[in-house]
Amino acid sequence: MWHKTDGKPSPETPQLPAGGTIKSQVTSEPPAPPAVPPAATAPVPTPAPRAEAPEPAVVPAPAQVATGTSRIQAGLKIHGEISGNSDLYIDGELQGKLRLGNGRVVIGPNGKVQADIEASGVTIEGSVQGNIKATESVRLGSGSRVQGSVLTPRIGIDDGARLRGKVEMIKAGSSPSASASAPAANTSETEAPQPIAASAKAK
Amino acid sequence: MNWMAKTRLGAPTATPVKTPASAATAAAPKAAAKPGPASSVPATSSGNVRISNALKEFLWLLSDIQRPRILDLGAVSQSTLNFFIEKGFRVSTEDMLREWKDFLITQEEQLRTAPVGEETERRSLPALAEKFVTDALNYPEQSVHGVLLWDLLDYFDPAVVPILMERLYSMLHPGGTVLALFHSRPAERFHRYRIMDSQTVELLPAATLAVHAHVFQNREILDLFGKFRSSKTFVGRDQVREALFIK
Repeated sequence: MWHKTDGKPSPETPQLPAGGTIKSQVTSEPPAPPAVPPAATAPVPTPAPRAEAPEPAVVPAPAQVATGTSRIQAGLKIHGEISGNSDLYIDGELQGKLRLGNGRVVIGPNGKVQADIEASGVTIEGSVQGNIKATESVRLGSGSRVQGSVLTPRIGIDDGARLRGKVEMIKAGSSPSASASAPAANTSETEAPQPIAASAKAK
Repeated sequence: MNWMAKTRLGAPTATPVKTPASAATAAAPKAAAKPGPASSVPATSSGNVRISNALKEFLWLLSDIQRPRILDLGAVSQSTLNFFIEKGFRVSTEDMLREWKDFLITQEEQLRTAPVGEETERRSLPALAEKFVTDALNYPEQSVHGVLLWDLLDYFDPAVVPILMERLYSMLHPGGTVLALFHSRPAERFHRYRIMDSQTVELLPAATLAVHAHVFQNREILDLFGKFRSSKTFVGRDQVREALFIK
């Protein structure tokens, strides 16, 4: 039975952002969901081929999860910084920083992120504690819990979403890093904000 | 910000300024008798939409402030957020009632697992409320220009309300405004509020987060907001009182 997975990444195998970097400490979660045998769930902190990524048995996230998306599955914890331009789906836990310049990030329903997030688009179904900066859009799903500021040109909020923090609008396409370094110039509609992350960077 | 100083054509006209001492008795009859397009339909009982004179006035009071900061203490809503952001407001949201409920559950769990006799004094309701309010409303002093309190005070335990009010007062910028609703009788069901336009609020039936804890009398309301400079009350046909308080 187990041999059937040979040569084919398991749905639980972590797939890290292609073209990106991870400075992190990756740990597996002992009480991982028993979807596959334990041997197949051992995390491998090396980039895995992602082109033919198999679809997991259960895809709880909405359709935004594209085929080429890198995944951090449930049961995986990452402490550190993730950066790059790939799309990323997180259904595990992340503590640290997440910077995807042109990539989109989806936090799945099991995802728990304690990190500042910078990406072009952010979709949240799980929980995020940190500041979010998106150059395109942010969507908070009905099961999402967000604590922190949201800086984005567009925001979508489903009924049932929970948000503790402030929402500020920026011009579409303005890079998060640019807005961080010069908040007054790039934040338009609402205020010359002092988003927490931006202030930290400015220092 | 002062109702007496701030006048304009087309602004809501009835019951313009009330001192805390006079507001309670005068508010309801005047609001009910007031003519005009908005006040002629103070509240709709059909459907889940109510015309809100208080919201209209709330916006008017903040209209002189450049990019006012709003704190919405109800559930976050796309419609409300869009409404304020399009008007150039800065918006923060804190779903206070839900957070309070979660906080109590967490505290209860900690109490259950704590050694017997430990920290029992610090776990009294006012102490818990103090801790909760300090953590949840972690905003700088005088940093908020408007607070949307909705009808939350009706649902909080009476021991918690003064602590919450004290914190709101300190957060509020001088001249800042609080919009609050008070039911005249126990609410039949729990609602969330969503702003549709500058004088329309939609009531969204929601799963009951808390039971209606208290029906505030006018005098109690004024005592609660005793530190505030002035107040103004509107009473709808559904007997829900909409109140504005200015720091």
